[in-house]
Amino acid sequence: MKWLEFSFKRYRKWLLPLLILAAVTEGAAIVCGATFGKLEEGLFKGISFLGFMFPPDWSAFAEMVQPAFQSIIIAFLGTVFGTLLSVIFALLAAANISNPWVRNITRLLIGLERSIPEIVILLLLIAAFGLGSMPGIIALSLGCIGMLGKLLADTIEELDPIMMESMESVGANKMQIIVFGVLPQIMPNLISYALFRFEINIRLSVILGAVGAGGVGYELDYSFGMLQYHRAFTALLVIIVMIFGTERLSYILRGKIKMEGALK
Amino acid sequence: MNTVEITLPSKKYKRRMTIFSVSALVVAVACIYMNFNPLGFFTEFHFVRDLLGEMFMPNYRMLADNPSIAYSILQTLSMAFLGTVYGGIIAVILAFLAALNTMPYRVVRVLTSITLSLLRVIPVLVVILIFVIAVGPGVFAGMLTLVITTIGTFGKLFAEIIENTENPPGEAIYSVGASRLQVIRFSIIPQILPSLIANLLYAFDVNIRTAIGLGIFGGGGIGFQLQMAKSVLHYKDVTALISIIIVLVILAEKLSDFLRRKILGDGKLR
Amino acid sequence: MIEVKNLTKSLPNGRMLLDGISFKVKKGEFVGILGPSGAGKTLTLRCLNGLLKPDKGEVIIQDENGKGHDICKINKRELRRVRQRIGVIFQGYHLVKRLSALENVMIGRLGQISTARSLFYGFTDGEAAEALLALEKVKIGHLAEIKTGNLSGGEMQRVAIARAIFQLPTLLIADEPISNLDPSNAKIIMKMIKPLSATMPVVGVFHQPEMTAKYCTRVIAIKDGKVIYDGDPKLSNDMLVEIYGEELSLIEQQEHAVPAMLIN
Repeated sequence: MKWLEFSFKRYRKWLLPLLILAAVTEGAAIVCGATFGKLEEGLFKGISFLGFMFPPDWSAFAEMVQPAFQSIIIAFLGTVFGTLLSVIFALLAAANISNPWVRNITRLLIGLERSIPEIVILLLLIAAFGLGSMPGIIALSLGCIGMLGKLLADTIEELDPIMMESMESVGANKMQIIVFGVLPQIMPNLISYALFRFEINIRLSVILGAVGAGGVGYELDYSFGMLQYHRAFTALLVIIVMIFGTERLSYILRGKIKMEGALK
Repeated sequence: MNTVEITLPSKKYKRRMTIFSVSALVVAVACIYMNFNPLGFFTEFHFVRDLLGEMFMPNYRMLADNPSIAYSILQTLSMAFLGTVYGGIIAVILAFLAALNTMPYRVVRVLTSITLSLLRVIPVLVVILIFVIAVGPGVFAGMLTLVITTIGTFGKLFAEIIENTENPPGEAIYSVGASRLQVIRFSIIPQILPSLIANLLYAFDVNIRTAIGLGIFGGGGIGFQLQMAKSVLHYKDVTALISIIIVLVILAEKLSDFLRRKILGDGKLR
Repeated sequence: MIEVKNLTKSLPNGRMLLDGISFKVKKGEFVGILGPSGAGKTLTLRCLNGLLKPDKGEVIIQDENGKGHDICKINKRELRRVRQRIGVIFQGYHLVKRLSALENVMIGRLGQISTARSLFYGFTDGEAAEALLALEKVKIGHLAEIKTGNLSGGEMQRVAIARAIFQLPTLLIADEPISNLDPSNAKIIMKMIKPLSATMPVVGVFHQPEMTAKYCTRVIAIKDGKVIYDGDPKLSNDMLVEIYGEELSLIEQQEHAVPAMLIN
């Protein structure tokens, strides 16, 4: 059995990690009550239930259009206000604009926000303001800060330092450097990050809707709750079209910006 | 006397103002339509203040009083881990079936590609709601959801990674008479393994966040505890749970970063 | 007129970077500062418009009314006011790459307009026409509407000169304006800078003794933070050896020996 010996040597360094992986998987499976056989069964049940939901209830389609539109608007407003907030946070968090203390505190806040799931923010806001689209929009706006704020702050920190110094040397103050030096330079990045975030916000707005922010997510949750599965299927189709459509749109727009940005 | 046409600042100013006012108008109309007052967050800040007053100080004693909390943290971790492992395995298999250079049959390729694209656009919410009905609420439903979303998010990406491998090694192996499986084993897998591992670690990081959210819709785990504490208005418990969630997410991120660096070395992060 | 008295700057470890530099430049003079790498040329220049504070010494700059200001002592607000009338041409071409050449020229007057005005794109049509004149003076009027990121090195440096002209400066400082350019472009730039000395003192740092010999009216040589020569631009061979050492590979000289901590 010469080849077996050879293989053993070859794969030995993988042995321990794989054993650990298998052990952890086994442990996790016990916690979740999910052995491999049950996994297959569960997935199959899910798919067959999806089959059971078919066909969609087309009569409910008209009722879905407005909630879907609302979801899009919630995502849109969340992205707009979130981007504005993120720009402010990014400026405060960029080493070459703000002072070290402000920078570190802002970076800490951004990092903290990044590690709170949006849905938790929403739950808190609903606890404060009650149900409605307002907590949803605010939750999405705040959710932008973690991602956009960090990306933009990093972009600003990469700007040519001497470019900013040369503006300083003609007597420009900080605000003027931001308006004429920083903003034009980060604009392409800013827009493409915002578009990317819009895609994420569309998905989130569906989820947040189910928790109480309204929109098509609420319709879906409601239909499931009322056991109207064919209606839920309609909602599902509307959501898929919505997500797919915005994704394509953002992809095309980002491609255009990339083309323009290539010229620097 | 100007020899060249230039856009005068006054014109530029006008154009800028037009763009600005049109976008402001769109946002304003959208706000009115949604009955949303952007300043409401500040004018009605007393609600937030009241809530914060309710929330502090966090009640960590509840952790000791209620042993199910510790277990639910374990549940969330297991859920995210299993979702990543199972979802990752299935995603890799599907990716091989969908990639141009590993799957010779067009029908299979197109079918798997369509499946992957569909899984990608199906929102998490739908998946969890379906599984909660199909297998009952709990960690198992949450885990199945994560399996599906992991396949959806990473399947297509893996297929692209496989298709982007360099062909010459494969051609060299074919030319000595190797089978397709041997080419996959000796040419493609070594090339894709680093980015596969990096992406799976990233997937774990993402899945932890998702797993917390899933709890609220019946997926079990710490998210469920949070939802419970919130619905019985124990806000001091909520604060404690949120702080635990933050620590959990940060630790998961650090762990995934650490492992990525350890396995792949510093330079090969991307 | 600009007068530098006893400029001194040292590192925390006691190493003297500038050791009592003094000189005086009047209107009508085009002074070239020469010296080996790390001699303190760029540092001196950075002290001239207050980007760097020396440990000791004075830099007295006459403003448009003939009043002298010690740039090392005045407060931030006054410093900005004095800087409005100091034209600076940087090494390399540190323009805002996504703004047009014309806008980059107009940035030269940012310090002279109020912050509130600059937030609303505060340049007037008259200023734009003037900026175009400045661009035409450096023979690139036809490129006014092109984003500076798309211009060549020589063209960008001309935009920088146009910006300095547009500032209506009382003093022009040039930090190695020709070091990233090919010889023919370098000559053009020197020819453009020289006539400016008719109305204001011009101080520039250069690497190329043959260029300063041809265009400058006076040369100051700095070595180890001290002025070792001040006088006729045509240096004798002995002097060159004293400045640069035996190896006269002058064209290859690179100036990056300034400690990074002082730049930031």
